[in-house]
Order: sequence, then C-alpha cells, then structure tokens
Amino acid sequence: MREVYVAGIGITSFTRLEYPLVEIAAYPAMMALKESGLRKIDHLYAANMGGGRINGQTGLASAVVDNLGLTPAGAETIENGPASGASALKEGFMAVASGMHDVVLVTGAERMRAVNNLEATDFVATLTHPYAEYIYGVTLPSLAGMFTRLHMDRYKVTPRHLAMVAVKNHGNAMFNPFAHLHQPITLEGILDSEDAATNNPVVADPLRFFDCCPVSDGAACLILSTAEVARKTGKPMVRLSGVGQATDTLCVHERDNPLELPAVRGAAAQSLKMAGKKPSDVDVAELHDAFTILEIVESEECGFFKKGEGHLALAKGETGLKGRLPINTSGGLKAKGHPVGATGVGQAHEIVLQLRGEAGERQVKGAKTGFTVNFGGFGNNVVSLCFTREK
Amino acid sequence: MQLDILGYQCKKCQTISYPYRTLCRKCGHDAFDPVPLPKKGKLLTFTQLFTLPGDFEVNDITLGIVELENGVRMTAQLKIDAPKMGMAVQGKVEVVRQAGYDKCRGMVFYPR
Repeated sequence: MREVYVAGIGITSFTRLEYPLVEIAAYPAMMALKESGLRKIDHLYAANMGGGRINGQTGLASAVVDNLGLTPAGAETIENGPASGASALKEGFMAVASGMHDVVLVTGAERMRAVNNLEATDFVATLTHPYAEYIYGVTLPSLAGMFTRLHMDRYKVTPRHLAMVAVKNHGNAMFNPFAHLHQPITLEGILDSEDAATNNPVVADPLRFFDCCPVSDGAACLILSTAEVARKTGKPMVRLSGVGQATDTLCVHERDNPLELPAVRGAAAQSLKMAGKKPSDVDVAELHDAFTILEIVESEECGFFKKGEGHLALAKGETGLKGRLPINTSGGLKAKGHPVGATGVGQAHEIVLQLRGEAGERQVKGAKTGFTVNFGGFGNNVVSLCFTREK
Repeated sequence: MQLDILGYQCKKCQTISYPYRTLCRKCGHDAFDPVPLPKKGKLLTFTQLFTLPGDFEVNDITLGIVELENGVRMTAQLKIDAPKMGMAVQGKVEVVRQAGYDKCRGMVFYPR
C-alpha cells in the first residue's frame, strides 16, 4: 500500500447555515483546494446522511464536483449514518493507498437545521431497527439514556462525571472559532444551583440537556494524496496512518454485553495497529461524544483507560487540554456541534490542525499522533482513524 | 386473531433471534420456526424520554430493555410508575405508536 497524506483542509462554522446543502459541502472544499494550491483532483467523496430525506438533495457528490468545477473527476456520496464522514475518509484512503488515485477530495456536509429539533431527532432515529426499536419511540438519546443507567449502576458513573465532560468540552470550544456553542458552562449552573433543573432539563433520564450534542449544520474537508503531492503544498506532513472499522448488532438489546461497545474497541485496535501505535502513543483524540457518557466509555474501549475507569481519569483532569491525553480539544460533538455527515471529517480536521501545530489556544504541545472515533448508529458501525506527524 | 410478537428459532442450532434475521447470528443457518416469546421477564435498563418524535401526543414515554424468561431480550415501552433495574415485569401487546390511521403494535411491559 502507498502512504496517504493530507494535502489540504477546510471547514465551515458548525452552526445554522442558511445555504443550500451543495454550497455548504463545497465551501470547505474550496478552502482545502486553495490551501493546497491544487486545481485538479482525481476523485471526490461527499459524506452526508440526510440530504435526500431532509433537504430534497440526492446525488450530493455529483452536484458538488460540478459546483467546484472539478468535472470530469469521479464522485460518490457516502452514507454511513453519523459515521459517514470517517467512512468517506476511509474510502479516500483506500483509493490513494491502492494506487488508483493520487488526489482525492473528501467533503462531509449536513444541513439538519432545515427541520426542527424533533424532526431532526426523528430522522436520526431511522437508524434504529424499524419494528423492534423505532416504532416504540426509540431515539438515539433514549438508547444513550439506557446505556448511561447501566454504567451508573455498574461503574458508579454519576451525573457529576457526565457534567464534567460537558463543562470540559464547552470550555475547549471557547478556543475554537468554528464551534457551534460558544457558551462556557459550570457544574454550579447545570447541576448544583437552584436553577439547574430549568437550565438543564431531563431529555432521556438520566441524561439531561447538557449531556446531549446540539443539532448542527456544517461541513469539513480533507484532501488526501500521495506523499509527493502533499510535499509540494509546503504544509507540515501529516499522514493518515491507520484506518479501522467494525460493526455490531443493529438492535442494542441483542448485544452480548450491553455495557460494552465492541465495535469501538475493534475499530480503534485496527487503526492503531495499522499505524504501528499503541493507545499510550496517542497525544490527542477526538471521540464521538454525541452524549457525554460516550466520551467516557469510548476512552476505555480505545484502551486509553481501564474498563470502568474513564470517568475517574476525567475527574482527575487527565483528558483536559493540559492533561495526559487531551480529548475533544475542538469542543467535541458536545460543543463544536454534530452535523452528522460532516462530523467524522470535522474530527479529522481538528487532528490535522493539532499535528500541524495550528490549533491556536487549544494546541496540544508537540502532538505527533492523533486519533479519532466516529460512531454510526448507537455503536453499530464505528470508524476510527489514526494520523501521524511525519518529517 | 391474537396478535403476538414472535421470536425466530433457528432450525439448526435452536438459537432464538428477535427480531427476525435472514441468517442465524450464531450458526449462519437460513431456516427458522416462528415461536411465541415468554411474556414474563426482568427489566435490565430503562429511560424516561421527554423529546419525542412528532407523532407521540404525550409529554413523555418510558422505554426499557427486558430480558425474557428464555434469555431473549427486547426493547419495549413500559407502563410502570417507578421502574427499577432488575424488577419483574409482564408484557402485553398494545398499540405503541399511531401515525395517522396507521397503528403500530408492540410490547408494553407492566409490573408483575
């Protein structure tokens, strides 16, 4: 396999965007093309989950490749639920690694705020089993609520631990100009004060409002290429050194152990192995914290902390910006936002910034190995990526 | 006709799947017998959900995962005032969702 490098990156603000989905997808691609100085690509992948259902836009990749004047390059839309972004990067990786293409542009985009929050939640809930889950009113927050209750019972995770994830990630997002929520929060405000129940109402007991990510519009792009092309851009050399993917049962109730996320474990182990790294080599990680509990459990499944100890490491500050392993320096899905099809590319964008040393006030000093987990469904299709800074 | 929620027992390894799958998850066999599922079980976990899809005209619903007496698990609605993990429950098939004239029937569990 050939080595695969990042030749250019771009991102929009994750927020409410009043533009057509095609233009949202094209904008970060334009930034990445400008940054890299490239004017031609071999192939384009557009990651998106809901364009057909909520924006009336199918065939997104075909529209974007034309909008950017990049025809006749090949183009495909990749849909893998909320893991569409990392899946599209995986496809791009394979295209360059195999020798089929030299330059591949991967843009992830979503425009979910075109509908109200309840419709957006319902649209994401169509990921669940149609008659064994969905008809009952099951949504992703409800699956996360049931999962959280099991962890509270078994490992003594408390509402305070969950709130600590939210406080940390909202704090990190204050240093990220592209984040959706620039709203510093405190344990006092969302947990301890008289107004906490109003500020932070129950969504899916025991999860509260600030345990859940916002519904966002947004897009992010990476251009993947051979080393030769990437070197010409003059940017620090960042290699996509590992990709991994694993699946699990669609119905959460069919999992052998409902406390575990084996697809996260499998995907993470594969991407680290391909990169020749151990969990302890990772300097900075973006984990899929659509719900606060997920950051904690994923940090264990990836091997960063022992099973049942992720919340203890969090409470000690080990995952903070100045900690041993900063997690979700961008603000994570929790505060940076979660435009579902764009999220995996957005996570990779943050890691590339960190490895280039371009992350500003949230820079993790000397970061050389970065890692992402992008979680589709409720842990039933997970893609993990590993990036390394090369000389 | 009595409405019921069925499991699917693999004709080769006897594993019961719920919901239906085309190939057995355990042995890969492709033939199943529909079998009634026990209505008694214990509650593994639950949540009270306040952000509901638009076709639910109630303030909140309670959802849970129940392990039935034969070990098969299912996700279902609960009509239990103060659910507790591990409590004994009894299921009944009822309308769980209505979108326009379409009524979806599923399992609803009560305290036992």
